[in-house]
Amino acid sequence: MSTTATVQPERILRDLQELWAKMASDQADSGGVLRACAMTLAVAAENAADAERVRQTVGVLMHSHPSRAVILHAGSTGGELEARIFAECWKPFGKSQQICSEGIEITAGQSGYSEVAKFLVPLRVPDLPVVLWCRGVAALEPGPLEPLFPLAGKIIFDSSQVSDADSALQFLRRLRGRGSRVADLHWTRLTGWREVVAHLFDDQALQPSEIMGAQVTFGGPSVTTCARYFAAWIRTALPGTRVTVSSDNGPRGLHSVVLSTASDTLTIALGSDHCVEVTGRGRHYRSMLPSTSEQALMQEELGILGPDPVYERALSA
Amino acid sequence: MTEARNPFADPLRFERRVPECAIVIFGAAGDLAKRKLLPALYRLAYDRRLPASFAIVGNSRTPMTDDDYRARMREAVKQFSEDGDFDEELWKRFAANLHYVAGDVKEPNLYQALREKVNATGQANILFYLSTQPSYYATIVDGIGHSHLAAAPEGAWRRLIVEKPFGHDLQSAKELNSRIHAVFREEDTYRIDHYLGKETVQNILALRFGNGIFEPLWNRRYINHVQITAAESIGVEGRGGYYQEAGALRDMIQNHLLQVMATVAMEPSAVFEPDAVRDERAKLLRSIKIMRPEEVDLYAVAGQYKGFRQEPGVNPDAQTDTYAAGTFFVDNWRWAGVPFFIRSGKKLPKRVTDIAIQFNQAPLALFSAGDGDQKGRPNLLILRIQPEEGISLLFLSKEPGSGMRLRPVSMDFNYGTSFGERSPSAYETLLVDAMVGDATLYTRQDMVEASWTVIEPILENWSNRRFDFPNYDPGTWGPAEADTMIAKLGRQWRNT
Repeated sequence: MSTTATVQPERILRDLQELWAKMASDQADSGGVLRACAMTLAVAAENAADAERVRQTVGVLMHSHPSRAVILHAGSTGGELEARIFAECWKPFGKSQQICSEGIEITAGQSGYSEVAKFLVPLRVPDLPVVLWCRGVAALEPGPLEPLFPLAGKIIFDSSQVSDADSALQFLRRLRGRGSRVADLHWTRLTGWREVVAHLFDDQALQPSEIMGAQVTFGGPSVTTCARYFAAWIRTALPGTRVTVSSDNGPRGLHSVVLSTASDTLTIALGSDHCVEVTGRGRHYRSMLPSTSEQALMQEELGILGPDPVYERALSA
Repeated sequence: MTEARNPFADPLRFERRVPECAIVIFGAAGDLAKRKLLPALYRLAYDRRLPASFAIVGNSRTPMTDDDYRARMREAVKQFSEDGDFDEELWKRFAANLHYVAGDVKEPNLYQALREKVNATGQANILFYLSTQPSYYATIVDGIGHSHLAAAPEGAWRRLIVEKPFGHDLQSAKELNSRIHAVFREEDTYRIDHYLGKETVQNILALRFGNGIFEPLWNRRYINHVQITAAESIGVEGRGGYYQEAGALRDMIQNHLLQVMATVAMEPSAVFEPDAVRDERAKLLRSIKIMRPEEVDLYAVAGQYKGFRQEPGVNPDAQTDTYAAGTFFVDNWRWAGVPFFIRSGKKLPKRVTDIAIQFNQAPLALFSAGDGDQKGRPNLLILRIQPEEGISLLFLSKEPGSGMRLRPVSMDFNYGTSFGERSPSAYETLLVDAMVGDATLYTRQDMVEASWTVIEPILENWSNRRFDFPNYDPGTWGPAEADTMIAKLGRQWRNT
């Protein structure tokens, strides 16, 4: 369900109220609708087509992270700011009452995001966390999105498309230095790999002190943030361990991690069917990696609204 | 996986790892296994929470092959899975780990057969689950002990989950504890109380100790009384034989509801670790004032619904309490003088379990008579455990328009909608906890014995008298004596 409005925050909020009242009335026979909201999720989309994709992703994310979504994107032809509101509704299994979250889509005019930032302030849900999801590579460059950064408690980027890992990491560190909580979906993609490595040390069969060195191999022509993060994560967990990073000709992404002890090695290597294979020290097993769809990555990040010490240490290293 | 032990730990992002193990279920063809255990294990597999290598070995007396058992459990999982997710391919993979050994728990041969079956699965860790009739618990534990099934190889573990009821009185609970401890250490014994695995019961700790606004009010100065209600609209539903021996006091209050009361009233623990939390729960249970014999009639009420004695398998002269209510006081500085009213019954008007914390009224009646007819209504904080898990706060608000008419309004938090995600069932939570060795939500020997001690005077009194049963109609809120019990202390039940 959606409707359009000119961009006046008070008017948008009033239109949302009317939308809810109408939906409650329409659904009165089945117990009305339940409006759910746990945060404001602002999304800076790359363009109108991207905004449409975002809306679908956000619609699914709302099931586990009910929010007021504010989707922002630059208009294709310039002109005036435009806004439209919508509601995403779903019915939990076996329940008759619909649960709904609300959304606002704003098309920025010629003045770009500087003007949009002014509107975002009153459109935030009071007292609830604000997360800003910046899509595309432009977000990692200082400039157009800067006015939005101070408004968010957490800012999510994706450095996977950035060819220069150094500049991406510097940008994230700079933002964090200003007090913002940042996240990078390219770090989130490593969760499955990291979990497999961490589990090697769960039982007493392998001691952290045994590890003398680690070799991280990834695919692609240049060192990505992903490889840098992984190496930094090992270094911060095992200070003093020699960690080397190398690339091969395979597809982009992490390919293998080899942990060396004085007497043997443990290899975690990318296998078929989205699995990793763990070999060494009498072990040989496969472990399925979790989904790395954008939706799954966002799901994970929206679940962490407070400090994320492990990522912060890896980013700083 | 703790960061202190594992420098790679990332508890914010990593699921707790369930170690490879075999779960041996005694009573594997019974109601609990069909309705709760297998659906919970299947759901854990669906959510990829089970390790790649695990085994479930079921036992009951019914002769069945592995395939027969798999077929039977397949139907059970399809029928009783709470949210209807059934994936045929996943079931095939899950069922491949499902095994069955028929046999009588009194026969030593059974344990040898179980050992061979578990060995064939290659699992070193074993979690035993007692889901049989309680009278077999000690026999099974003895059998496990005599067959050396409880002896774990180096680096492996053996754990035991015991379903309620844990004994039928204090003496029998102590005896059972003693028999169990001859085979399993206390730290390897997991006495299950599925109420403690419910999200809302766990959320009581989050509400109290994660927020700054409630705990300052959480004491005798601001709280007038607490009502804990566990009502069922159904009767004994074919469990008449079992139920007539148990009754509501033993079946609900001794375990579930006293544990819930302990969670509501306990002091904060210094750290959120299993024994620290359980120490505080146990301390609270030990602080509940034990009724003197002459107080039982004043503070406890038994009821039986009309028609119970006509249920199949029920003695036509049964003295069973299908309804029980009690008034409990806690002898400590925080709660001195605050009554905790607890009731549970069958064939009540609706199925509901909740905790209502009633605050004292405002000290000054600012809105005089005539300005509103609700001026005396106190604030209520309601923690809803089922059917809809959530929290509501009732307070007064001015009605729109001229004048000062007040109307109670409710501020609601619904667990399912605020987080959107599906809440794991209590059995999913508790099974994972036992597999990873986290006993926070399980009851300990001292807690069980303390709660039996609390109700012992009531049991003693009730077993020595003949009630004029039945004393309440199905579809009502129980016997009139329960209303009298609470009215004597100037309160009334929330019958909403």
